[in-house]
Amino acid sequence: MPLDTSAYSLALLRVDGRRWNELRRIHAQIRTQAAADGSSYLEMGHTKVMCVVNGPSEPGPRRGGVATGGGGGGGGGQSKNAEVAVNIVIAGFSSVDRKRRGRGDKQVFELQSTISQALAASLHTHLFPHSTINISLHVLSQDGSLLAALINAATLACVDAGIPMTDYVAACTAGSTSTYAANDEGADPLLDMNHQEEQELPGLTVATLGDSDRVAVLVCESRVQVSRLEGMLAVGVDGCKQVREILDRVVREKGIKMIQEGTVERGVGLNDMELD
Amino acid sequence: MSTESPLVVLPGESIDPSLIPTHHKNPLRLGPGLRHIPPSEIVPTVAGQLVVDNRKTSMWIEYNGGRYIPSQNDLIIGQIVRSATDFYYVSLSPYTPNATLPHLAFESATKKTRPQLSPGELVYARVSLANKHMDPELECVSPSTGKADGLGPLKDGMVFDVSLGFARRLLMAKSREEGKVEVLEALGEDGLGFEIAVGRNGKVWVNSESTKTVVLVGRALRETDEKNLGVEAQRKLVKKLVREMR
Amino acid sequence: MPREAEPSANEKAFLLKALQDEQIRLDGREFDAYRPLELTFGDEYGVANVSLGKTKILAKASAEVTVPFADRPLDGIFTIATELSPMTAPHFEVNRPTETEVLLSRLLEKTVRRSGALDTESLCLVAGQKCWSVRVDVHVLSHDGNLTDAACFAVVAALRHFRKPDTSMENGVLTVYTPAEREPVPLGWLHSPFCVTWSFFGDEGETALLDADWMEEQVRVASVTISLNRHGEICQIAKLGGVPVEAVALLQCTSVALTKVKEFSTYLDSKLAEDAKRRDKGGFMAELRAENDRVVG
Repeated sequence: MPLDTSAYSLALLRVDGRRWNELRRIHAQIRTQAAADGSSYLEMGHTKVMCVVNGPSEPGPRRGGVATGGGGGGGGGQSKNAEVAVNIVIAGFSSVDRKRRGRGDKQVFELQSTISQALAASLHTHLFPHSTINISLHVLSQDGSLLAALINAATLACVDAGIPMTDYVAACTAGSTSTYAANDEGADPLLDMNHQEEQELPGLTVATLGDSDRVAVLVCESRVQVSRLEGMLAVGVDGCKQVREILDRVVREKGIKMIQEGTVERGVGLNDMELD
Repeated sequence: MSTESPLVVLPGESIDPSLIPTHHKNPLRLGPGLRHIPPSEIVPTVAGQLVVDNRKTSMWIEYNGGRYIPSQNDLIIGQIVRSATDFYYVSLSPYTPNATLPHLAFESATKKTRPQLSPGELVYARVSLANKHMDPELECVSPSTGKADGLGPLKDGMVFDVSLGFARRLLMAKSREEGKVEVLEALGEDGLGFEIAVGRNGKVWVNSESTKTVVLVGRALRETDEKNLGVEAQRKLVKKLVREMR
Repeated sequence: MPREAEPSANEKAFLLKALQDEQIRLDGREFDAYRPLELTFGDEYGVANVSLGKTKILAKASAEVTVPFADRPLDGIFTIATELSPMTAPHFEVNRPTETEVLLSRLLEKTVRRSGALDTESLCLVAGQKCWSVRVDVHVLSHDGNLTDAACFAVVAALRHFRKPDTSMENGVLTVYTPAEREPVPLGWLHSPFCVTWSFFGDEGETALLDADWMEEQVRVASVTISLNRHGEICQIAKLGGVPVEAVALLQCTSVALTKVKEFSTYLDSKLAEDAKRRDKGGFMAELRAENDRVVG
């Protein structure tokens, strides 16, 4: 495979013209579906995902292939915490190769389980015993950083659904310009990888809770030197903070708009918020 | 108990009729692991050591293993699974049908003063009813005196799983002579203070002021059970553990 | 379907109290200590029996000649099949994978297969027509926590121990030799990755333990599995959700994991050498002997 990224060392520009520490364009919307309790639409570059949240509600009949988490104690509707059920649908047209994914696809199952466990730790599930929060995610277009986009979309939709949570769970990816074979010391970490970079370079997905350095999700699926980890993680955590700012802005803008339109009353906590 | 060397029997083996105790008045009593096929055949149903007690005209098979099968008057440690309208479902061992414990089967319990137990809590109870094809029933109160006699909810502490045979040995009235268990005495002599409850279903509950003591008692019990230590070795083990902890 | 067994509230509370107030584990281990790890090989090549405390895992490698995938004509086929049967615990059912099973098989897949531990190109016999299909079956015989580390160790041990029949190509004819004709050959092995799992406890995941047993796994709030080889290459990291943990703590976990992986690696090498010595009774001289082992009747 010809390495397009090998041109990086010449101009310090990546294949899509970004510098090492630049995110791709993130565009997000919340409350996109009127029928759902919470919904969001998120683009990270060309990765486009949609999320719909229903609940917390009484648990319906159990469906197969849905990862659940957070239901500590009992289970089967008897638990003290709400269950977070995540379902991911990856559209056939989302990537270049039309890969058919069966219901039992382990990779999708792993994604579902990861998102469910990550959100269960951040959402205040103990407030809703014996209930389920259904999160369904739809992948419309894939161009790298899929897990990160899914986590961000799910967080936004949960905010829209009004489920109490500790803070935003914001995610992004980070990579390194060195392949595992090359042992060069001058390797730069990269922020927010696209599909092409993910194919060629080692990388990881990281999700943090709010402003802190606390890592909720860390997934690395490629071979990389241990010494690279620190740099990649630092860049990733920093990227997560940027993503959090963006998500926060989306939520605030939507809130202001809703107040201006009169859909919601101006609340107590909103007095100090600037409306323009 | 017979003093000669242990006689090991296998399921379906025939038992030497001379071993079967007879008495002119008392009927023969069969314990666990033996089955009477009329008119006069007695067949073991599990592998184990055949024990004959001539004085009580009874015989049974001593075996260690398998899961707990409830029988009447056993003391057990159960875990509350959930509460129904007037009884709790209690799990005696994992993956087996739950036993039932009526809400009012506690000392001086009335509809208003009964203990409120939530799922996951532990109770020390007696099996009041055990039939082959029915879920067992439990009680935490003596039906004749109305007293708890030490039964009831267990607060705090830790539960350690031991083998059924070991739990039985711990529960023997003369555990030192007959059961060859001295680990608890040895622990007590070393100045450790702890509360203990032994369930026939292979569970031992230990509580103490100090967390370390509980862990130590648990490790001593488990190791004695797993390695099948003799009396001397048990003492040595306790000495070693106490030294490590301090 | 029977429900999974669960420790009682008392046990959970006590375990946490012991960990956080007294800094002791129920079995008296240090926080960064593994239970005794034991590996035995079977009589056949490619059978590894691993026990980690009470967790027991059997891995068996096997190979057969098949047709390669159309999109990868130059690669052999390598699969890892994980099975958690009712033998492990009654709540595992056959043909209905639980979350534990799926995540375990994904982890093994990422650690061993995707990291390129096995050279799949060396499994190719005739491009696009014939290749070896190597398969490892992982059977969990008893589950007392930390299946991942034990299973990964078993898979790597089984593959490194495995010998596939020798083959030759002459004038377009492929010959597969029986072990009697030619000594079987080991697989093309590139590096040995091992998994190390940390479990986190406490509200902010401030207590980290290695090699959690079943009870500790029931109580933990998060876990991270780090796969490394002894050259200090990360093959995979998976912290799939759970309570957030400080990034710095994760970096520390990784460096401790590296030392553990080196220990595993040395242990496996010594076991393999021991087994090779056991099999190679007469040594080179026995091969050179002219007499036959014919039974004199």
